[in-house]
Amino acid sequence: MLNNIAAAIASAASPMTLLLLIVGTGAGILIGAMPGLSVNMGIALLYPLTFAFDGVQGIIMLLGVYCGAIYGGSISAILLNTPGTPASAATTLDGYPMANKMGQPGRALGLSTMGSMFGGVFSAICLMIFAPQLAKVALTFSKAEYFALALFGISIITSVSSGSVLKGLMGGALGLFIGTIGIDAMTGKMRFTFDSTYLIGGISFIPVLIGVFAFSQVLSSVESCYDEKYEKKDVKIDRVFPPFSDLKRVMVTLFRSSLIGTFIGCIPGTGGDISSFICYDQAKKWSKYKENFGNGEPEGIVAPESGNNAVSGGAMIPMLTLGIPGDGATAILLGALMVQGIAPGPLLFTNQPMQVYTIFLGLLLANIVMGCFGFSLIRVFSRVVNVPKEILIPVIFMMTFVGTYSYNHSMTDVYVMVFFGILGYFMNKTQFSMSAIILGIILGGTAEQNFSGALMMSKGSFSIFFTRPICLIFLLISVLSLMSPLYGQTVKKIWKNRKENRKG
Amino acid sequence: MCKKITAVLLSIVLGAALLTGCGAKGAYPSDDIEVIVPKGAGGGTDTSTRGLLTYMEKNFEGAKFNVTNNPDGGGITGMVQTAEADPDGYVLGAVTVELDMFCFQGKTELTYESFDAIAMPIGAPAALIVQADAPYNSIDEFVAYCQENPGAVQVGNSGAGAIWDIATYLVEQEYGITVSHIPYPNGTADIAAAITGGHIDATLADPSSFMTQIEAGTLKCLGVMSEDRMTLLPEVPTFKEEGHDLVVRAWAALVAPKGLDEESLTALRNAAKAAMESEECKEYFLSQGIEPLDYIGDDAYQVMADDYEMYKKVFETIEFAE
Repeated sequence: MLNNIAAAIASAASPMTLLLLIVGTGAGILIGAMPGLSVNMGIALLYPLTFAFDGVQGIIMLLGVYCGAIYGGSISAILLNTPGTPASAATTLDGYPMANKMGQPGRALGLSTMGSMFGGVFSAICLMIFAPQLAKVALTFSKAEYFALALFGISIITSVSSGSVLKGLMGGALGLFIGTIGIDAMTGKMRFTFDSTYLIGGISFIPVLIGVFAFSQVLSSVESCYDEKYEKKDVKIDRVFPPFSDLKRVMVTLFRSSLIGTFIGCIPGTGGDISSFICYDQAKKWSKYKENFGNGEPEGIVAPESGNNAVSGGAMIPMLTLGIPGDGATAILLGALMVQGIAPGPLLFTNQPMQVYTIFLGLLLANIVMGCFGFSLIRVFSRVVNVPKEILIPVIFMMTFVGTYSYNHSMTDVYVMVFFGILGYFMNKTQFSMSAIILGIILGGTAEQNFSGALMMSKGSFSIFFTRPICLIFLLISVLSLMSPLYGQTVKKIWKNRKENRKG
Repeated sequence: MCKKITAVLLSIVLGAALLTGCGAKGAYPSDDIEVIVPKGAGGGTDTSTRGLLTYMEKNFEGAKFNVTNNPDGGGITGMVQTAEADPDGYVLGAVTVELDMFCFQGKTELTYESFDAIAMPIGAPAALIVQADAPYNSIDEFVAYCQENPGAVQVGNSGAGAIWDIATYLVEQEYGITVSHIPYPNGTADIAAAITGGHIDATLADPSSFMTQIEAGTLKCLGVMSEDRMTLLPEVPTFKEEGHDLVVRAWAALVAPKGLDEESLTALRNAAKAAMESEECKEYFLSQGIEPLDYIGDDAYQVMADDYEMYKKVFETIEFAE
């Protein structure tokens, strides 16, 4: 145990690893700060680069991109009122007023940097404490439990698709369908392959991901480029370290949001965007300065930013212990781990403890590096919000092609990426949720394989799902979460009435 | 219009340049050699092929190998690509044990006969692995237990109809027992978790994913389906020693498309032989958790042919569960 930790420290602190971590985090912040480039897109684009590095080094670089990009989104949210990534959408609510109305962009950026770093470090520590414990419990999970867990992840579709529940379900169904293409791993039978050798192996996840998250976004940016006049925004940043009075004011919010964020990260299929809104909402509910929210309230900046960065550590708990990714970004990380010969699952902690501790340390360091970048180089990073789209768009276009091709050296993957990019463009226009599609693809296969596997173990008896307590609990939660749009409104009304009654 | 003409002219010029490039070849190899790996980067096939090629370069003057991965269609596309390439020695490929199975599953017409074998650096055998506290300590005791409890023993595999599942069918056939086949399509890491967690009783799979548990004493290996005992598990008997001729191995081989001239082929085989005999190459393989094989040329080809015949019989006689 101790010598594993020592070896992990040696590996994580080697100059090459640190350099990669710094490069990754810096790139992540830039990607996050540029509106239109999301966290998932940043990781998907840089993913093929990691093949060039041995072992966990490439993974650590991706961790840097992951943390950096979530944080970077707040920069443009505060300065431009445009969230750099969806995870920072809630930050605009108080960040922009503070930077603009109150004329304190430095204070806002300082608060978001502090919130992000605290949330990230907090969740990394949670990961170190809880993941090994969960791994022990996870050994008792059989196929029935994995099925229930995956189903729970899929059931979140109805709550992530904020626009229309029906469109969310349609997107999810499309994702589930894409997941069924290829050889059915359980029976060896071909499904929807139409005699095409490419389809026998199924549609690879990475081209779809780059297509719907990157290619389609760039298409939208091209479109919006036409009616947008390029305006250079001059930002003067005063001080970056938040004053002590601010620290005191946001302390409780910091802890609460980090806790909520870590917990939400653990739930398969959620992510920074959901977490930041929930944290903002909770901060407002508990705050002494409720009226000030929306007018540049420090808690309103710290809450979503610590909440979305805390997702990183939380999302890695199920990814490392169960092999079930917590969000789209960890789904790519899962792929990267497997390429490096690290097989996530309950045995990872006994089989490759050194790699596990290196990943833990990597995440912790990534958050610290991110904070240092934020406090020292914020003036440099805030310039990227001024990069004209005419330069940005062609560069990203090229990267989507290079990234997709280098993943498997397959031209067919590139065609698939373009197809899903165009599809994603139109689905975005019609307000379909991309996360729902991705959820369907990631978790559909897991759910199906474990469902039929569990039935094989029970020799066809459905009782296996109802006699195992953990499985039953997750199945019940899934039903509740899937049906939440049906009863959510009613529950809210009842709550409201009760409150009013109490007041009256 | 003008653009079109320029384009046509350009392509003619480029085409001509390519042709002259091909014509002006001296001693083999005078150019980079492309090697198509039909599996993704980082897997066992990819690691062993790249490892072999790295050490071949050191023993083969002027040779430079460029590896491309093409895992489309579960590996079929990449193997077809190699088979259809010009047999000029500048396109080689890796083929895997699935080559001998796909043709009987109606997935492709391609067989081992489309290739000339250069070397086979890897051939992981199926190993019978059970929980350490299980009441059986040998293959025979395991079989006896299965006979007393027909269908009750749950054996994990990496997907129905895939190699470890077939190994399980062969054991059932050979010993006249029935077990439950439980697929874990994400691979052997999941089987290891399931068997350690006590959800299944046994597995027949590549032992390398189970070594940590075997060394820690939570799992034990009762037998391996290889020709000889493994260096990694010297104590464990082979099924052959026990009088049952069961050899199931997940191999990968470096091959050339059929028709490559004898001279180039010999040069490649010699380079592979020198590479695989070197200590540093062996050490590299062991460090990757792979037990290296030293099958060169005809030896490798023989394995490909033997397994073809074996799987032919397997797919004729075994009825796979739907």
